[in-house]
Amino acid sequence: MDSFRVAGRKKQKMMLKNKYFLLLLRLIVGGIFIWAAISKIADPLTFAQDVKNYRLVGQTLSFLTAIILPWTELIAGLCLIIGVYPRSSALLISGLLIFFILLVAITIIRGIDVECGCFGTFSRKADLWLILEDFLWLSISLILLFSPYNDFCLLRRKKV
Amino acid sequence: MKKILSDRETWLGLLIILGLAVLLGFITNAGLVKRFFSGEFKQAFVNKEQYPGLVFITLAEAEFLWSNHQAVIVDSRSASEFKRGHIPEAISIPLEEVKNGNNALLEKVPKGKPLVIYCEGGDCLTSLNLAKILYERGFQDLRIFSGGWGEWTASGLPVEKNRR
Repeated sequence: MDSFRVAGRKKQKMMLKNKYFLLLLRLIVGGIFIWAAISKIADPLTFAQDVKNYRLVGQTLSFLTAIILPWTELIAGLCLIIGVYPRSSALLISGLLIFFILLVAITIIRGIDVECGCFGTFSRKADLWLILEDFLWLSISLILLFSPYNDFCLLRRKKV
Repeated sequence: MKKILSDRETWLGLLIILGLAVLLGFITNAGLVKRFFSGEFKQAFVNKEQYPGLVFITLAEAEFLWSNHQAVIVDSRSASEFKRGHIPEAISIPLEEVKNGNNALLEKVPKGKPLVIYCEGGDCLTSLNLAKILYERGFQDLRIFSGGWGEWTASGLPVEKNRR
């Protein structure tokens, strides 16, 4: 039984070293961030209202968030995929996801019924499912952040 | 983690990404930024071109329209809040019920007269969201009383209870 477990762990480790698997993870998380960004860049006013609906920040901060956050998501997603500062983008994406998880959790606790605003017009409720989904993206993003491997990158980074 | 965070390249990349995002955000939205700082979106992020008939009114304007019977007053709060007290002669169209698919409620809104829509006041948003739905249904004269129920009661104007 133990040997099965060891074999399973070995297989997992092998996968996390596999450059094609790591590239796939980059494409998934980067792609989701790019998609989320484009839908919001297309309609900044609607997104500004979505941010305001969370009732955490006022008018000015909601507006600034609405014009800057989607571009941050887009550039971080692109950088992760093409491999320009992939570690910085993985760190930024992880940070954003932790922030989103906390934001939705606080909103649920406060009992505010709100559209998440995540994908512009394709939005849905900010609920527990959204938190679980964000945890999935966060775990992938953390794998990429801590992975020492550096293949298919436009700008090769130092090995840390 | 320590190694990653102590690596200068990580922080340099982070700064470049954030700087570029701020720059592009401001450049691509230059028109909106100008409109924002000239005070256009003070009350809500509503594009005038998208909803031309939607305006925000003060307590004095709401009271004038109500006392002269020049508008239909629409309450977008929940049915239970409406029962506890509302502006006299207002009709109850709870946004949450409309969102849950009860479109028959919207049939209650008479056409042809301006609508004054209100919710609790303060930061409440149901009046704005209901106004957007009504706009899509062909109502073109929509006035949001942003002070809402809070401002109405605080000013000592008449209220009505238990009527649906």
